[in-house]
Amino acid sequence: MTRPVGVRSEPLLEVEDLAVVFHGSRGDVEAVSEVSFSVRPGEHVALVGESGSGKSVTALAVMGLLPPRSTTVRGSIRYDGDELLDLDARSRRDLRGAEMAMIFQDPMTSLNPVVPIGVQIGEVLQRHKGLRKTEAREVSGDLLGRVGISDGKRRLKEYPHQLSGGMRQRVLIAIALACEPRLLIADEPTTALDVTIQAQILELLRELVSGTGTALVMITHDLGVVAGLCDEVHVMYSGRVVESAPRRSLFGEPRHPYTGGLLGSIPRLDSARGEPLTPIPGSPNDALPWTHSCAFAPRCGNRVDKCTVQTPALRGSEHASRPGDEQALRCFNPLDTREAS
Amino acid sequence: MSAATDGDDADPLLKVRGLKVHFPITQGILLQRTVGHVQAVDGVDLDVRRGQTLGLVGESGSGKSTLGRGILRLGVPLTAGTVEYDGVDIAGLKGERLRKQRSSMQMVFQDPMASLNPRQSVETLITEPLRAHGKPVNSDTVGRLLELVGLPRGAALRYPHEFSGGQRQRLGIARAVALEPALVIADEPVSALDVSVQAQVLNLLEELQERLGLTYVVIAHDLAVVRHVSDVVAVMYLGGIVEEADSDDLYQSPLHPYTRALMSAVPVPDPEVEDHRERILLRGDIPSSADPPAGCRFHTRCPYRQPTRCDDERPELRVLRPGHSAACHYAEQIARGDIEPADAAQMVGTS
Repeated sequence: MTRPVGVRSEPLLEVEDLAVVFHGSRGDVEAVSEVSFSVRPGEHVALVGESGSGKSVTALAVMGLLPPRSTTVRGSIRYDGDELLDLDARSRRDLRGAEMAMIFQDPMTSLNPVVPIGVQIGEVLQRHKGLRKTEAREVSGDLLGRVGISDGKRRLKEYPHQLSGGMRQRVLIAIALACEPRLLIADEPTTALDVTIQAQILELLRELVSGTGTALVMITHDLGVVAGLCDEVHVMYSGRVVESAPRRSLFGEPRHPYTGGLLGSIPRLDSARGEPLTPIPGSPNDALPWTHSCAFAPRCGNRVDKCTVQTPALRGSEHASRPGDEQALRCFNPLDTREAS
Repeated sequence: MSAATDGDDADPLLKVRGLKVHFPITQGILLQRTVGHVQAVDGVDLDVRRGQTLGLVGESGSGKSTLGRGILRLGVPLTAGTVEYDGVDIAGLKGERLRKQRSSMQMVFQDPMASLNPRQSVETLITEPLRAHGKPVNSDTVGRLLELVGLPRGAALRYPHEFSGGQRQRLGIARAVALEPALVIADEPVSALDVSVQAQVLNLLEELQERLGLTYVVIAHDLAVVRHVSDVVAVMYLGGIVEEADSDDLYQSPLHPYTRALMSAVPVPDPEVEDHRERILLRGDIPSSADPPAGCRFHTRCPYRQPTRCDDERPELRVLRPGHSAACHYAEQIARGDIEPADAAQMVGTS
C-alpha cells in the first residue's frame, strides 16, 4: 500500500450509533444497531460479514436508499460535517451520484435492460453536472475507456444483455464514477464474477480510487478481498460490529472469536493440503438477541457464563499501536493476543 | 494418455477417454435447423483412482459441470468418447441398466434448497433413493444416515425449510450416500453456503470419505476449496483440461499460463501475502464455447502467446513431469523463464 498514513485528515463520512429498524407485519426487526465507523478521504474501509450481518443495510442507510415508510434509521450519519439524517429526500438525491455513489453486487439487476448503456451513464452526467446530451455522450465514451472497455464510443449503443458480467460491472463502475464522487460504496462488487474477472475489477477499483482521494467503503463476505485492499476492517455479526481493527492487526491477531473463527474456516490457497479447517459450529441463523446476550455466544468456543446473560459493549482496545487506529472489540472473553516476538 | 495414469495404478475407478458433449444450437420455429454447436466439453481424458478425490476447477463456461453430469449421464447426451466405471463402459448404457449402474455413482448438488423437494419430510427425502432402487428401509436407516452426516435423529420428521443452508447441504449429502455409492460427484458443494459454514461441509465430506471409502469428483470454481479437498486437480478452460497435477504440485509449480493466472487471481486472506504477490491480469473474458478460438483455446488471453503455433495448433495434454501434465506448447520454456510475458503491464505487483 502506498497511501500516506502519517497525515490524518478529517473524516469524510462519520457514522455514529446507527440503528436501522424494519417495520414488518409481524412486528419490528432491528437489522442494524450501534454501528459506528468513519472514513477519511483516500481511505479504504471494509464492512465484513456473512448473510444477515447487516452490512448491506448499513450501506443502504448511508446512501439513503432504504424505503422511508417501512424503515426507521436512528443515530447519526455525517457527511463532510453535514448530518444526512436531517436532510430532506431531495437534498439526499442531489448528493447521491454526485458526491457519493454505490456499486451493487449484481450488475444485471442494477442496470436497466431496455436502455442502452450510453444513456444510463449519460443520465447521471445530465442530472448532476448539467451536461447536454451530446456532451454527456462524449464524456460517457471516455468513461468507458477509463474502466477498460475498449472502443467505448461504439459500445454506448449496446444493451446490458450484450455485455458479459465483467463488462456490466465495469459499466456500473463507470456510472458510479461519472461525477467523480468523494465517497464510493461497493457492495460485494465482485461476488458474482469469476476470479480472473474479479482480479481485473479489483485492480480497476484500486487504480481509480487511489490517487484521487476517493474514500471507499467495501462491503464483502470475502476476507481475501479485504486483505489486499482495505486499511480498516469492521467485522459485523447479526447487525452489530464485533471487531474493528486496521487490517494487519485484524488478520495477524484477531481478537474476537468470530473473526478468528472466520479466518480458521477459510481454505487458503497457500496452506498445505490436509491442513484441517476449524469451522465455526452452527450457522448464522443461531444468533441470540443482542438485548441480553452476545449474539455469537451459541457458536462461540470462548463462551463464558456472562455471554448468555449480558450484552457485551464495544470497547476501544487499550493497546492501539498508533493513535487514530480504530481498534474496538465487543467480547467478554476475547482470544489471546500472541506474545510479540 | 492422461497424466493420472503414469503406470503406477492400472485400475482406476473411473476412466474417461475423449469425452465430448456438444449441444446443438437451433434456429427456426417449425423447421429447426442446427446452426452450430456449443462445445461444452470437447475431448476430455480423466482417471480417478479409488478412494481419491479429483478436483475439477474452472470458471463459468469452462464445462466443468457439464463434464460432471456427463460422467453420470445426467440429462447430458454424450457426443463422443467413453466413460468406463469400474471396468464397464457406461457411455452406451440405456434405461434400466443405466439406472441400476447409477446406484453406485451419486451426486451432491450446489443449491440444497433447490435440490430438496420442499413438501417432502426429511425421512421421505433420505429414503427416496433407497426405495427407488428397491433397497430395504427399516426404522433405523434414517436415524443412522442422519447421524452419519451430523444431524440429530429427531430431524427425520421435519421439512427442508426448517434447516439452515449448511444443514440442508448435509441432507443432500445424506441422500447421496444413502445407497452406499463408490463414487460421489459434488458440484459446487459449498459455494452457496456462508463462509463460516463452508468448512463444516468440507470437513464432513473428508470424514465420510475416510469412513465409507468414497471416491470423489469435486467440481468448484474456488481454487482454494478444490486444493484443500483434492488429491489431484484438473484445471478446465473452454471445454478442455489444460493442466492436471497432484494438488500440492499444482500449487507449487503451475505449468500452464492459465493456471498461473487463475492462482494469482485468488485473493488470500493475509495482508502480508497480498501486499507482496504478483498478479497476472488476464485480458477480457472467457470466449464463447459456441465459437471457441482456433489453435490453443487460451491464446486470445494468454500473456505468453507465441506467433502462429499457438493460433493454429491445439496443444495436447502432455506429461511434463511424473503426475503433472499440461496442454501448452511452450510450458517448459515458460517454466524456465525463456519466454517473457508479452505485455508487461499485465503483471501487477501490489507492493
